[in-house]
Amino acid sequence: MAETTSTAESNDVALRASIDRSLRHPVMFFFSSGALWLAVAIVLGLVASAKKHSPEFLTSFSWLDAGKVDGAHMSALIYGWGAQAAFGIIIWLMARLSRKECTSVGTILWAGHVWNATVIVGIICILSGNGSGVPYMEFPSFVWPILILCYFGITIWSLIQFQVRDAGHVYVSQWYLLAGLLWFPWIAVTAFLFVFVFDGNPVMTTAIAAWFKGSLFLLFFLPTALASAYYLAPKVTGRPVYSYNLALFGFWALAFLGPWAGMHKLFGAPIPQFLPNAGAAAMILILIPAIAIGVNILKTIAGHSDIVGESPSLRFTISGIVLFVAYGVLSLLLHTVPTMKITQFSYSGYGMDILGLYGVFSLCAFGAIYFIVPRITRREWLSRRFIRWHFFLSLYGLASIVICAIVGGVTQGQGIEDVSQPFGTMAERASQYGWGVTLAWGFLLFANLFFCLHLLLMWALLGRRSSHPTLLKGHYADSPHGPEGEVDNLGTTSA
Amino acid sequence: MTFKAFIFGLLVSFGFPWLVAVVIPFSTMNSPEPIEYEEGAAVSGVYIPKRDGRVSEGSKIYGQEGCYQCHTQLIRPTYAGNDVFRDEWAGLRKTADNPDTRRETLATDFEGEEVAYIGQSRVGPDLSNLGRRLAHHLKGTGVSPEDWLFRHLYNPRDPNMVNYRIGTQDIPERSSCPSKRNLFEEVNVYGAGADVLPLQIEDGKGIRANDRARQLVSYLASLKKDTLGQPLPEALNYNPKAPVAE
Repeated sequence: MAETTSTAESNDVALRASIDRSLRHPVMFFFSSGALWLAVAIVLGLVASAKKHSPEFLTSFSWLDAGKVDGAHMSALIYGWGAQAAFGIIIWLMARLSRKECTSVGTILWAGHVWNATVIVGIICILSGNGSGVPYMEFPSFVWPILILCYFGITIWSLIQFQVRDAGHVYVSQWYLLAGLLWFPWIAVTAFLFVFVFDGNPVMTTAIAAWFKGSLFLLFFLPTALASAYYLAPKVTGRPVYSYNLALFGFWALAFLGPWAGMHKLFGAPIPQFLPNAGAAAMILILIPAIAIGVNILKTIAGHSDIVGESPSLRFTISGIVLFVAYGVLSLLLHTVPTMKITQFSYSGYGMDILGLYGVFSLCAFGAIYFIVPRITRREWLSRRFIRWHFFLSLYGLASIVICAIVGGVTQGQGIEDVSQPFGTMAERASQYGWGVTLAWGFLLFANLFFCLHLLLMWALLGRRSSHPTLLKGHYADSPHGPEGEVDNLGTTSA
Repeated sequence: MTFKAFIFGLLVSFGFPWLVAVVIPFSTMNSPEPIEYEEGAAVSGVYIPKRDGRVSEGSKIYGQEGCYQCHTQLIRPTYAGNDVFRDEWAGLRKTADNPDTRRETLATDFEGEEVAYIGQSRVGPDLSNLGRRLAHHLKGTGVSPEDWLFRHLYNPRDPNMVNYRIGTQDIPERSSCPSKRNLFEEVNVYGAGADVLPLQIEDGKGIRANDRARQLVSYLASLKKDTLGQPLPEALNYNPKAPVAE
C-alpha cells in the first residue's frame, strides 16, 4: 500500500513537473513583459500625477501632455501589466488544476507577442494624439479586435484543457478561471461593438464604455486574483478551503453583481436613471462577496500566521484579499447618494481604481508569480531582501495613493459642492493631495524596480539552484527540506 | 454544482444585466421621441437642438487630447449635485442685461458628437457653457472667444493675457491646465497672414494654430448648453426657478 502511494506520488510530481515544463516559456514571457509594462505604467502614473499639481513639469515633451498621459498610464497598467499577468496565471493555474500539459505553446507565444506589440502601438497612438478619445477605451478602434483575437489565441487552450480534463473534483479556483475566461470576451466584444461599430446616442456610448471598465475589473481581473488566492491559501498552508458553501455564495454574489457595475459614473447624466442607480447599488453590494470571500480565505489560513509571515506568495495574496475587503467597505461608503454627489467627479474614483488594480489584483498576482516562477524555472528566488522591499514599498505606496486620492477627492468634491467657495480655492486645496499621490508613485516605482530586476534575473535562469525555497523568515538549519543542497530532478518546493 | 448548471448560471447572471443595462437602453436611447414646444411658447414645432462650429471633428480632438480627464461637461440635476448654482457653469445668472439661462444637461446637448464627454474629475471647471461664459465676459474687450481660447491653449498661465475673471479669480495665475503647444507651429510673421497669435516670441517669428487647434477651438467656443440661444420646451425644462435677487 505504501509503495503504491509513493509511486502515485512520484507520478504526480512527474506530471506536475511536465506541466510546468510545457508552460515555462509563455508564462515567463507574460510575467516578465508584464513586469516591464508595470514599470512603464508607474512612470506614466508619476508623470500624470505630477502634471496635476505642477503643470509645467516636462512641458517641453508635448507627447506627455496631461490628459494624454493619463489615458496612456491606465491603458499600460490594465493591458500591459494587468492582462498579461492575468494570462500567465490563468494558463498555468488551469493547466495545473486540470492536470493537462500545454500543447499549444507556440500559438500562445505568438498571440502574446502580438498582444504586446498591439499594446505598444496603442500607447503610442494615445500619446501622439491619435487615440480613440473614448474615456476608458483610449486605444484607437483598430486595436480592440486585434487584442480580442490575441485573447482567444492565448486562453482558448485553457478552456480546452478544462473540457478534456479527467473527470474529478472541480476546484473553486477553476470556477473563477472558467467564469473569467468566458466573461472577458463577452464584455470586450460588447464594448467594442457598441462603442466603435454601432452608431448610438453619445451619452449611451459613454455609459457603455464606463460599464466596460467596471465589469472588466470585477469580472476578469478580480476573478483571476481570487482564483489564485483560492489556490494558494489551501496549497501553502496544506488545509482545505474553509467552507465550500461560503465559496459558492461568494462566487455567485460576485457573478450577479459584477455585470451591473460601472455606469454609476454617469450619476445625474441624461440617461435612464436606473442605470447609474443600479451601478451604484452594485458597487455598494460588492461588500457582500468581499466579506464572504475574505472570511473564507482568512479562515482557511487561520492559525497559520507563521506560514503567512514566511511565504512570500501567501503574504502578498493575503494582503490582496484583506484589501479586497477594504475595497468593499470603501465602495459602500463612496457610492451612496450623498457621497456620490461629492465623489463622482473627484480624485477618489482614481483611488478606487488603483486600490482595485494594484491593491487587490496586483498583490494577488505578485503572490502567484512568487509561487509559479520557481516551479517553471526550477530555480529559487535569489533574495529575500528584494521580496521584502517589494512587499513593504508596495503596501506603503499603495496606501499613500489610496488615502491621498480618496481623502483629497472628498475634499475636492466638498469644495465643489459648496458654491459659496470659489472654484480655484478648491482646486488648489485638492492639488496638495496630488503631491502625495506623486510621491507614492515614486515608492511604487522603487518597489517594482526590485520586483522587475528579481524577475528578470529569474528569467535569465540565474535563480538559486537549491532545494530550499526562499522564505522570508526561514532558518535553513531546522528546515523540513533538510540541509542546503542541489535541487532534485523533480519538482521544486518553494512556497 | 454540475457543469451545465454552472454555465446556465453564468448565462443568466450576466445575460440579464447585459440585456437590461446595455442592449435595451442602447436601442431606446437611439430613437428618442420628438418633443414639441407647448402652445403659446415663443417658438413652435419640434425641439431640434442647434449647434454651430466644427462640433464633430473638434469633439474628437477634445477626446484625443484627454481634456475629459480634468474637465466635465455635465450639469447634474439638483438631486445629484449643486452644479446648477456654481459660478456660470450652467448658464448665466439673471442680471440687468440677460435673463437666467441656467439649465441641466440634456441628452440632446451632445448632438453631433460620437461620445458624450461627461468627464472623469473636476480638476478644472465644467465646460458645458464655456463658449457662453467667454462670450459674456469678453463682451466689449475686443477679444473674441476664439482668440482667447487659442492663447489659453498655447499658454494657460500667460500673464499678459486679457484678464478673464470669474468673480474675483484670475484664471492665468492659478490655472493648472497643460499647455497644448503641440497644436501650434512657429512661422515667419511676414506672409503668414492674420492667423498669427498676438504673441512676441522672437524677431520675425510668430505662433500659428494648426488645423487641430482650430477644430478644437471651434468646438470649445460652441459649448453653449444653456437656454439663451434656444429656449426649451416645457417638458425638458427642469430649470429651477430663478432666485429673485442675486
